[in-house]
Amino acid sequence: MDTVRKQTVGGMSATQPRRGFSWYRLREQSMPYLLVAPLLILIGVFIYYPLFYSSYLSFFDWNFVRPDKDFVGWDNYTRLLDEPRFRRSLNATWIYIVALVPIQVFLPLGLALLLWPIRKSRMQGAYRVMLFSPTVIAFSVAAVMWLWIFNPLQGLLNHILIDFGYSRVNWLSDRDTAIWCVIIVATWKTIGFNLLLYLAALEAVPGDYIEAASLDGANHWQIMKSIRFPLITPTFFFVLVTTVISVNDDVFGAINVLTDGGPFESTTNIVYYLYQQGFRYFQIGAASAVSVIVFFATVLLTWVQFRFVEKHVHYG
Amino acid sequence: MVSLSRPNGARQREGIGRVFLHGFVLVLCVLTIFPFFWMLSTSFKVPNEVFTKEIMWLPKTPTLSNYPDAFDYFPVARWFWNSFGIAVLTTAGKLAISVPAAFAFARLSFKYDKVLFATVLATMIVPGVVTVVPNYVMVSRLGWMGTWQGVIIPSLPHTAFYVFLLRQYIRTLPQELIDAARVDGASTLKMLTQIILPNIRPGIAVVTILSFLSAWNQYLWPLLILSDFESKTLAIGMQFFTSNTESAQLWGPMMATATIAALPPLILYALAQKQIINTFVTSGIKG
Repeated sequence: MDTVRKQTVGGMSATQPRRGFSWYRLREQSMPYLLVAPLLILIGVFIYYPLFYSSYLSFFDWNFVRPDKDFVGWDNYTRLLDEPRFRRSLNATWIYIVALVPIQVFLPLGLALLLWPIRKSRMQGAYRVMLFSPTVIAFSVAAVMWLWIFNPLQGLLNHILIDFGYSRVNWLSDRDTAIWCVIIVATWKTIGFNLLLYLAALEAVPGDYIEAASLDGANHWQIMKSIRFPLITPTFFFVLVTTVISVNDDVFGAINVLTDGGPFESTTNIVYYLYQQGFRYFQIGAASAVSVIVFFATVLLTWVQFRFVEKHVHYG
Repeated sequence: MVSLSRPNGARQREGIGRVFLHGFVLVLCVLTIFPFFWMLSTSFKVPNEVFTKEIMWLPKTPTLSNYPDAFDYFPVARWFWNSFGIAVLTTAGKLAISVPAAFAFARLSFKYDKVLFATVLATMIVPGVVTVVPNYVMVSRLGWMGTWQGVIIPSLPHTAFYVFLLRQYIRTLPQELIDAARVDGASTLKMLTQIILPNIRPGIAVVTILSFLSAWNQYLWPLLILSDFESKTLAIGMQFFTSNTESAQLWGPMMATATIAALPPLILYALAQKQIINTFVTSGIKG
């Protein structure tokens, strides 16, 4: 796509004098900067500056209400390492990543490949709307719907279990099952968007490649393996990277509504831990230290993927 | 064309395969929409049908009373208005900063353009939660706690994906369009408003819808900023249900409220589904 010719600024020389001062040219030359300025200023103020500000706050003991902060050096970090609640949250964070990243990356891919051969069917639009429907509603609304299904006394799930002769399960208050309930809701809620990206990628594969291959006698599976999949690897990589970044953020709403981090903090991931430290106990310094750790861990994970996975990506 | 030359048996097998495929996909679709069905069904039940010994798939004596009840128990009308206002203004703000920037990055060359574009894209690897604490401190210093601008303004820069999508879309416009404007001596601003904007309407429509959906569904940030019961959005109003479920057991009105919260995004998406996928196809998620 680098064939797009870009316009040089102040390049209206056909109608404007080349030399001398001109308001018109000054305006034209500063126009690109004026166009990007609002975006960049907001990004600077509310994304990049906060990164520095939270690193700064992470070296202080502060409860948000007190006017002055106490400098404590690396204390907030070293204390985290000894904190059993923090360690447990790392454990849950890890479970969410290991369970949800493959689910969110491969399940939509599989679904897209199922939908692809029947894309011309009249039902296709209806299928897509139905499969995507959980994705467009709020995570908290989704969680409330499932709260009712998981309800220990009157919930549908236990109703069905009892009908089949099993005993009821306290889905959300049993520490063995609660995290899986969050994972089920998150799976249901998030596959749609990635499905859409994959379907768009499949549609963007040029038809003549496929035609040429099938004229050469390639079968469905060969076409999939050697043409379609390599051509959608950029989307695959995009989905992988963005899923790893957002997966623990995403489940926040579900944790908040379904379990509030319990039972025994078994569903509290690092994002939820940060929320509790910061906004329940008002340990601003400790919460900032967690922010810094989350940021560097995310950068590291993203770097690893670019280093080891990206070389297999096939940019058209 | 190719399948015409195939033997009859192969075509028949393919037909059976397609039936299985449809059947399988249909089962997945039913499983996916089942929680919606259950929510709707409960929202039309009278209280003594909500709790039954046998599973009651559909209400025997359907009632609409849970809907007005929901408005009585919870400030649903206010929550709806807050969700709507915040989503509309957030979307408008994101478009206002993203479209000009996407145009500049797509079609203008200026000093540091690559670095600045990378600065924008790099925000995608900053998880939202990382900026929550410092932004909370800033918003409270600005005196914006509990206000719409406190929710909206810090959310605006989370728009890198839309800038990227629009930039790709603008790059697919034919070069002749731009050249013609240049020959006519149009200024950069005129080029944006009179040439680019009318030609990227489908792209803008998609960004509008995606951004509206994400603002409507936003959770953590408004939860921190909007603490008054009345000032909440529908998405964060849901949290109130969980703290009250054991005592109140208002599942009928709760499911009615959840339905009210779910409907606008569902309708919006169902209407725009084709357009969204077409825009993703034209833009392509390539670097």
